[in-house]
Amino acid sequence: MKRAFVPKVLVGALLPALFAVPALGQVYSVDYLGYAWETGGILPSDAGDELVIVSVADYVDPAFGVDLGTDELTFHVYGLVSGGEADFFGNTMINYAGGYLEIYQDPTRNADWGVNPPNATAPGSFTEGSLFFRGAFTAFTLFFDPSGSYGSFEGTLDGLAGSIIDDVCSDCVYTWGGAFTLDAGAQIPQGYDLQIDGVFEIDAAVSSESASWGSVKALFNN
Amino acid sequence: MKTRILVLLVAAASVVVPMTAQAQQLFDFNGQTDLPDMVGSDLTMYSRMFDASPAVPPIPLDFANFEFTLVVTGLELVTDGNPQAYAGGTVIIYQDDATAADYANTGTFTDGTAILVGSLVSLNRTMFTSSLGSVLGTVDWTGGTRLDDIAPEDQDGWAFLSGTINRADSVEPGFDEAWDGKVEPQEPIVDDEATSWGSVKALFSR
Repeated sequence: MKRAFVPKVLVGALLPALFAVPALGQVYSVDYLGYAWETGGILPSDAGDELVIVSVADYVDPAFGVDLGTDELTFHVYGLVSGGEADFFGNTMINYAGGYLEIYQDPTRNADWGVNPPNATAPGSFTEGSLFFRGAFTAFTLFFDPSGSYGSFEGTLDGLAGSIIDDVCSDCVYTWGGAFTLDAGAQIPQGYDLQIDGVFEIDAAVSSESASWGSVKALFNN
Repeated sequence: MKTRILVLLVAAASVVVPMTAQAQQLFDFNGQTDLPDMVGSDLTMYSRMFDASPAVPPIPLDFANFEFTLVVTGLELVTDGNPQAYAGGTVIIYQDDATAADYANTGTFTDGTAILVGSLVSLNRTMFTSSLGSVLGTVDWTGGTRLDDIAPEDQDGWAFLSGTINRADSVEPGFDEAWDGKVEPQEPIVDDEATSWGSVKALFSR
């Protein structure tokens, strides 16, 4: 069993329940939407190109204690280095190496994609505020259908820092979503390559479930 | 796209003023999907809609006081395989201030006022891995209490785009897939648009 993270609002709930036990398979999520660009454009994605994503959360699990009416959560993905395109059963697959995801909680709510990134507001307005989460990608893959107009992505991360984790955690974050181009009918600001609609999921390895004395003692006997 | 003509009383009437940068417009949703078992059966999807600020919905929605849900029904699987092809579905956006949407009771997604009703003309669903995929479809809006908020020439051909996942952690009990996507016009809906005198006169010459 791994101890991954404790959402802020759950910490208070857990303290009185001293013997909380992990609930496996439970995740807390954040839904986000934004845009991405890659050096040299995409598609094609050439080996060595860097993918950058800037996005804003439009839903956050109540467990995180963030009111999107007063604070924005902004996502900044950077340092993902393309390994180049590969055919994957007729679709296009791009594996990336390296890369970080940072999420900021910012009461100024001034995120602005602008045009032709990087620019005066992107990524700058997406990296303001307090650090909510920082993670390092252990894997990130982008897929496109044969037309190259729509696709999906998924990635896993180690948690490194931020207000929602109390320690580093290994492979505790998963993110997935859709990636769309102008050819799919997506609206995309000038200079960006992709529209990104994704979900951030973090393991809730510690929950507020109560446990009997017997099951608590059994944990220490394992 | 235009909903109203704004005539500019400027001396240089032949100069068209370019549209300023606008916020991206979309109906953002996050939902759960029942997939059909065979060709001829239907796909259904129940979702909650979110305020994707600084992007904006194509028509104003009061997220502070209402819950909005987007529901797909009757979307028939016509060709199986990868990709799958679907046709004939209905998309409805509901506005509700009474019951919170709950995946354990799908009726909570279909109560309230049907503000937009559309036809999901076609949709392709592609799986890239055993768990991860994407869908691309087209929506024509045909009804609902807010249909008139969209000019007739702007009601057809909206993109229906979504990522899909079937990991156990992401899928609610009783469903097959989670979908995270949006419905959006291919160009922003605007209140008015600058045009030249020549273009205005041309409209009356038809």
